[in-house]
Amino acid sequence: MTREQLFYDDVQPGDALPTLTVTVDERQLFFFSAATYNGHRIHYDKDWARTREGYDDVIVQGPLQAALLARAVTDWIGGRGRLVRYAVQNRAIAFPGAELSFGGSVTAKRLSDGNIGLVEVDIAGRRDDTVLMPGTATVALPLRGDQS
Amino acid sequence: MSEQSLIDDQSASRVGTVAATATGEVNRRDWQRWAAAVGDHNPLWFDPEYARAQGYRDIICPPLYLQYAVLGVTALDGVRPDGSSGAMSGSLAFPRAPRRMAGGESTSFFGAAYHRDEIEMVRTIESIVEKQGRSGRFVLVTWRTVYRNQHDELIAEATTSMIARP
Repeated sequence: MTREQLFYDDVQPGDALPTLTVTVDERQLFFFSAATYNGHRIHYDKDWARTREGYDDVIVQGPLQAALLARAVTDWIGGRGRLVRYAVQNRAIAFPGAELSFGGSVTAKRLSDGNIGLVEVDIAGRRDDTVLMPGTATVALPLRGDQS
Repeated sequence: MSEQSLIDDQSASRVGTVAATATGEVNRRDWQRWAAAVGDHNPLWFDPEYARAQGYRDIICPPLYLQYAVLGVTALDGVRPDGSSGAMSGSLAFPRAPRRMAGGESTSFFGAAYHRDEIEMVRTIESIVEKQGRSGRFVLVTWRTVYRNQHDELIAEATTSMIARP
């Protein structure tokens, strides 16, 4: 599988990450709970979610939102890019069936002491204009001409 | 009348202590199931030839999956009524704030994890504080978690938080 590599040289503050758009359904909630050994009823038991925890429906796992947002970042940086730091907050819940978007923009770039290209990004998971999950990430990108 | 703190004395006394330690083997099928559940088909997690071409010795574990590689086993009669295991939080119960949800996480990644790496996790309770939010009072618990592999190499260090509400 061929993917285009992003280079440090080609990234500038203000650049936008390609936006990932996902509508999570209950099937995906189930598979994610299974894959993370998460038995919390609010992700599969509508009656529990409504009557015991006060939600209108089962809710999308915070870690699934986080994983989708990370996917937007790791898709963007390519195979030679590396996720160095990843920080997100759960600000709002999401229900299955709603279209969610995951993206971000470059805020800064610098070369580290070891001549590694570090890029800072502001990232967010959103439902329409509502920010569900704000965050920041640092990624390391290869430099053009540095094939090591 | 002053309100009773949401934080019981027993929970408060555990700040600074180790909440949980765990070890687990990183398993490629498990992380690929996780990636598939995320819809994340990055070839670094799936395609050894591609991963080697990027400088790795094999496919690598997705960074965000690492936290699940150390999850243990909970008997059905050991889970909480809400279905959660409580094992990773050090079984902080907060009887006055029983509803809980993930707060946030910040993780630094130092190295890649490979299939069959043995990961050791040590999680410390960093703080427990009561806060006032838009929808009322809640408890914010923060943990600091360190992940090392079988060569004692630091793989990741995370700060995670949980919100518990009345």
